[in-house]
Amino acid sequence: MRRYLLRRLLESVVTFVLVTIVVFLGVRALPGDPARTLAGEESDPATVAQIRHDYLLDRPLPVQYARYVLKALTGDLGRSARTGLPVRSTIGHALPVTLQLAMFAMVIAVLIGVGSGVVAAVRRRTATEWAANSVALLGLSVPNFWFGLMLVLVFAIAFPILPASGFVSLFDDPVQSFRHLLLPAIVLGTALAAVIMRQTRSAMLEALSADYVRTARAKGLGGSRVVLGHALRNSLIVVVTIVGLQLGVLISGAVVTEQIFVLPGFGKLTLDAVFTRDYPMIQGVVLVTTTAYIGINLFVDLLYSVIDPRIRVGGAVL
Amino acid sequence: MPSRPTLIRAAAVPALAAALALSGAGCSSIKSGAPAAGPSSDNRAVRNGGTLTVALSAEPDKLDPTLARTLVGRTVFNAICEKLYDVDAKLNVVPQLAAALPQFSSDGKTVTIKVRSGVKFADGTPLDAAAVKASLDRHMTLSGSARKTELSSVASVSVTDPATVSIALKSPFVPLTAVLADRSGMIMSPAALKSAGANFGTNPVCVGPFKFATRVAQDRIEVVKDPNYYDAAKVHLDKVVYRIIADATTRFNNLRSGDADVLDTVATTDVEALKSDPNLRLLTSDSLGYQGITVNLGNANGVGKPAGTLAAPYAGPLATNAKVRQAFERSIDRAALNTVVFGGQFTPACGPISAASPLSSDAAQACPKHDPAAAKQLLAQAGVATPVKVSMVQANDPVERRLGEALQAQVKEGGFDLQLQPTEFSASLDQTDAGKFQLYRIGWSGRIDPDGNIASFVQTQGSQNISGYSNPAVDDLLSQARAAPDTAKRRDLYGQLITKLHEDVPLMYLYRAKNLTGVSSKVAGVQVYGDGLIRLGAAGFAA
Repeated sequence: MRRYLLRRLLESVVTFVLVTIVVFLGVRALPGDPARTLAGEESDPATVAQIRHDYLLDRPLPVQYARYVLKALTGDLGRSARTGLPVRSTIGHALPVTLQLAMFAMVIAVLIGVGSGVVAAVRRRTATEWAANSVALLGLSVPNFWFGLMLVLVFAIAFPILPASGFVSLFDDPVQSFRHLLLPAIVLGTALAAVIMRQTRSAMLEALSADYVRTARAKGLGGSRVVLGHALRNSLIVVVTIVGLQLGVLISGAVVTEQIFVLPGFGKLTLDAVFTRDYPMIQGVVLVTTTAYIGINLFVDLLYSVIDPRIRVGGAVL
Repeated sequence: MPSRPTLIRAAAVPALAAALALSGAGCSSIKSGAPAAGPSSDNRAVRNGGTLTVALSAEPDKLDPTLARTLVGRTVFNAICEKLYDVDAKLNVVPQLAAALPQFSSDGKTVTIKVRSGVKFADGTPLDAAAVKASLDRHMTLSGSARKTELSSVASVSVTDPATVSIALKSPFVPLTAVLADRSGMIMSPAALKSAGANFGTNPVCVGPFKFATRVAQDRIEVVKDPNYYDAAKVHLDKVVYRIIADATTRFNNLRSGDADVLDTVATTDVEALKSDPNLRLLTSDSLGYQGITVNLGNANGVGKPAGTLAAPYAGPLATNAKVRQAFERSIDRAALNTVVFGGQFTPACGPISAASPLSSDAAQACPKHDPAAAKQLLAQAGVATPVKVSMVQANDPVERRLGEALQAQVKEGGFDLQLQPTEFSASLDQTDAGKFQLYRIGWSGRIDPDGNIASFVQTQGSQNISGYSNPAVDDLLSQARAAPDTAKRRDLYGQLITKLHEDVPLMYLYRAKNLTGVSSKVAGVQVYGDGLIRLGAAGFAA
């Protein structure tokens, strides 16, 4: 187990370094001079040159990279080239927004996805399965921006019971936080629910036809105990993998939802940073995203060993 | 390589004939000063208190008057950072933190400004001549200052007495008053400048009806009523929250749902829906800026460099022959563009000066008439084979695409084959600065004084002269207009200058956007003038 952990950690560090290099170069490969973009309307060649100098953009790439990494290692991600605010505190404000949204969306997705997946598997070849499948397909097919706009039109404008936009932290005011996040979480959660539902359903179908389930039934166990206690428990490993992978996707992919509901989250921050060629911000954002991805994947790997003891003991799976 | 001035002089002779034609049947005057569709302000009685939410269309950059570069940032500054001068509803420059309009010496090279007395910054520091000098010096010297170009005419600033500042100019520059009615005229608290230094923008302290409270990047900026403000008794709101909502539909939905009270930049496609909603009102005013097409005449070496001869694929008759450019302009039906692309919400424009400006004249509003047959004649006179193939770089958003396609169809009738090159905006700025274009669809947000709308774009080696245009006569007219204290004289000079621009066509002005501001009917006292800034000093919730 220790060797496994060590190896996974080493792999993570290598991935991390590679990603910083790729991102650093990738950002600089974008068309459009960041100094010119920052200069805005009042641009003149002297100002652009001055901005380039101020942000070290006139220095060789290895120098820029070394400075970035050294500063990042001390926790200093620099200041946004656009707003002048520290990158770290800006991310510090944005990340909890997206995390709260992602968690809320995940809860909705798991509740709907696992629930309907189990129902679809148990009630196979019935109208119930057909209905669950249709809902899942709908969740996958309907674009987020359209669904979001429809929810705003219905619940914020036609029947004004929920706010159209904005964010209140769970820790400041739980009720307001719930009201502000409900619509975005539904939008973000439904697409994911469809994915979870389909995976749960297929894993459940496989489990339900397995020998141990037949044995359990033969021993006289009740339907719900077989489904929930045996089949679902063994199907959960697939669901946990999906949830783990999707959490990363949710964090970095909540862009559209954040735009529609004007949530000052991570996705919106990333998009704005790219459009304004705010190098320090893009780099900071990607650094945090990479860390999160690597961290979540590591966590999920470790979670496997808790759920499935064979991974803990046997080397084969590694 | 022929130098740019020679080239232009050579082109000027046939252009003169064309100009005479323009001044006759080929030219009409655009009356864009017609009254706006809705009021630009609202004077209902208001009650004290409350928090107003303003939805901004973009995120302001640094809230530091010296470093700020975005138009949207000026709206926030309007609440927290007053200037030496401001404009009134008719766009006349009026004193704000200055006690009176500036006094220019007889040679025009010394400007004396009296500072308003009894004024305190939000941190309680008194405003005096030393504070004005400190801010102006910072604008001129701070690394990365966005004000250096605007204040490039200033040689030095000195304090004559605690209430008087004297500005020495390198050469006479009448537009300085208007420059000081924008960010260059914003005065920052010397105490805050001392303690925050280059990070002043994270907690700006100036004089204003409101003072900065907090900012969450990409989300909101909050300002609260400033008890130290000299006119605090007239300020009704307790707090203003500026929320950043980039998407126009989302912004409009937030106004409809009541999550926002004031909406900056209503999309033209939402105007009818807004007008039909009894809970909302639309404030409109003509923008000071313009939208147009810049023609690459000689930007072979990059902006700010001496003009040269264009190489393939950017060279062509459009760059070398004014008749071809005139033909292109005659092919454009500005009124139809406005109807098709903007639902008729904007104003067709043919020059850089808003008709609402006190310096506008008939000559400044003269417009080459839409006439595809005349365009074809001009092309025949120029001796070029039709269709003339030209390409245009434009931003890659849906509205720009619609505009590009409409233009494409129009100029086809005049004998042009227009190729559209949609490009991501940041990349397009780079590309066109470097001279890698034939036509570029770009505009300018506008300044109070026409000099700010013209000089840097058409002056020889001007800081934003991406056209590579150079005409000594135009340079001379600009210099004369800068030195002429008399408004009538300046009006005449700008009229002459615009006539020259219509001959040479380094830019084709297309339309002037309107400042479209959506306001909840619960709110009164919001004012929007031609400068497009949302003024909230007198605003409040209707009593």
